[in-house]
Amino acid sequence: MSEKAKNAISGWLIMLPALILFGFFVWEPLFESVRMSLYNAKGYTLTEFVGLANYRSLFASPDFVIAWKNTFMYIVWSLIIGFIVPIVIAVLITESPILKSVTRVAVYFPNMLPGLAIVMIWAFFLKPGDMGVLNILMSKIGIKPFTWLTTKGWTIPLIVLTMTWKSAGSTALIYMARISDINPELIEAAAIDGAGPLRRMFSIVIPSLFGLVKTMLILQIISVFQILYEPLMMTNGGPNNASVSIMMQVYRYAFDQFNYPKAAAVSVMINIVLTLITIVYFTVTREKEEAV
Amino acid sequence: MKKKKFGLLERLYNNKAEGVIRAFDTSSVFTKVLSAFIAAACIFMLIISLFPVIWVILSGFKELREIIRVPAILPESFNFSEFFTTWKQLDFGRYYLNSGIVMLGGVVCAVLFNGLLAYALGILRPPGHKVVFALVMWSMLIPPTTSIVAQYVNIRRVVDFFAAGLNVKAQDSLLSVAPLWLIMGANAFWMVLFKNFFEGIPKEYFEAAQLDGCSNLKIFRLIILPLSRPIAIVVAIFAATAAWSDFLLPNLLLNNGPWETVMVRLFEFRTAIRVNDADKLRAVVFSIIPPVILFSLFQKQLTKGISAGGIKG
Repeated sequence: MSEKAKNAISGWLIMLPALILFGFFVWEPLFESVRMSLYNAKGYTLTEFVGLANYRSLFASPDFVIAWKNTFMYIVWSLIIGFIVPIVIAVLITESPILKSVTRVAVYFPNMLPGLAIVMIWAFFLKPGDMGVLNILMSKIGIKPFTWLTTKGWTIPLIVLTMTWKSAGSTALIYMARISDINPELIEAAAIDGAGPLRRMFSIVIPSLFGLVKTMLILQIISVFQILYEPLMMTNGGPNNASVSIMMQVYRYAFDQFNYPKAAAVSVMINIVLTLITIVYFTVTREKEEAV
Repeated sequence: MKKKKFGLLERLYNNKAEGVIRAFDTSSVFTKVLSAFIAAACIFMLIISLFPVIWVILSGFKELREIIRVPAILPESFNFSEFFTTWKQLDFGRYYLNSGIVMLGGVVCAVLFNGLLAYALGILRPPGHKVVFALVMWSMLIPPTTSIVAQYVNIRRVVDFFAAGLNVKAQDSLLSVAPLWLIMGANAFWMVLFKNFFEGIPKEYFEAAQLDGCSNLKIFRLIILPLSRPIAIVVAIFAATAAWSDFLLPNLLLNNGPWETVMVRLFEFRTAIRVNDADKLRAVVFSIIPPVILFSLFQKQLTKGISAGGIKG
């Protein structure tokens, strides 16, 4: 056997264990979802082929429509609240005269905490009535208690706020790394030309983040699509289904009602939407490995 | 140039070479006000980031009566016995051990399998490696969580198959834990972290070994991995926290069995009526202690790793 063929075989053998794992846990379930969604099932044994019946029954159920609408609202709010915050954090920490490294570490810290624990902590903060932590803090400055998560219209923005609290720091670190990559001579030359700090910020630093911003945008939309823990633990989808997300609907169909095919049908639709978003993203940017 | 006094602000900004404000800006009143505002904002972010966690630890000291009736942030007394009681009552020692076992196996799988894949894709590059890489990256954009149902059903089938073969109850055996280890070995983000790092290692390091007829696996074990300690540590910590924090799949696989993890237990509180708020708070404190310890030990490597890798963990 030639040296080259030998190397190829050993290369593939080294990849093989990981490829089997990717196949079993990641790739195959995508196809299995499609197959399952076309069948009826008893427990997790598929019984008879029913075509698109599961999909049709989905569109007939009001919960499903609400879940899509809510997921869309989650994305809108996460773009309003969650998208700008990391950029602002990155800029502020970069420019701060004091406490730079401490703040850097502190804003990343929530990202290490278990999502479930964070959700439970925030549930105590956002409790309605006198004992909610935010209400206690507000009463100290004379503001009346508020009903927070149980107020329709506030539920989704507040959940997005807690998500932002967890993840903004790690995104900010990425922006900070990009800012520190900017050639300092560029900034100094602008200063000599008479550009003040604000002008330098908006003409040099912010534009240099644009490429990264596009990547972060797509990653954020993808991650918000999966939102599950927060509504599940904080509101259980309430009040009156106002915070049910599409992934939570998958969870309900599968693990509350044990209707796996129906849940799989929702999964398939989520994957189709995500694939479309990805295709649009690649066509628009054509910078494949920027996320890396 | 006019001779001026070396101000405090100027000294603070003296070594700053990133961002837009420089030491020479500090003479203007506008910059002075601006930097004061920025410093205040940093302190504000510091408080917002840490306060919820400080609060939950402080509240852990409270008795149930205080939690229900006294609207105060600080506890009336710092009584550790409350923590011990909850720990014993909810039998947390057992769940800690289980979580530790899930975590340990997860870390080994994460480093080994993602590392090997990155080695093949980044350095060995056998024919077809580009297709494999594209497939792996694709899973980053269409996250496996969305197929949780099919994933779970697949796992269930295999686990039940082996359980029947070995004639054991799946829930009682390590067969239910093994998928939680192995799933850590299929993570595109960590694979990319490894790959980027491996590609930065100068070829000279392993070319000599290749000429000496060293096997590829041996090169990985003796040269690549030891050189990649910084990134292996980052991946190991990501994997450890991911394994510790995950509850969806663990809940489905381990629920009501002897292997329940801390997070599964915490998740059960969602519907448990007999667990009161005081115990819940203390359970949250227990659940965040190991990640907090990991974080304080390795925060430097972590923040560096994220900046260098440029991706989220």
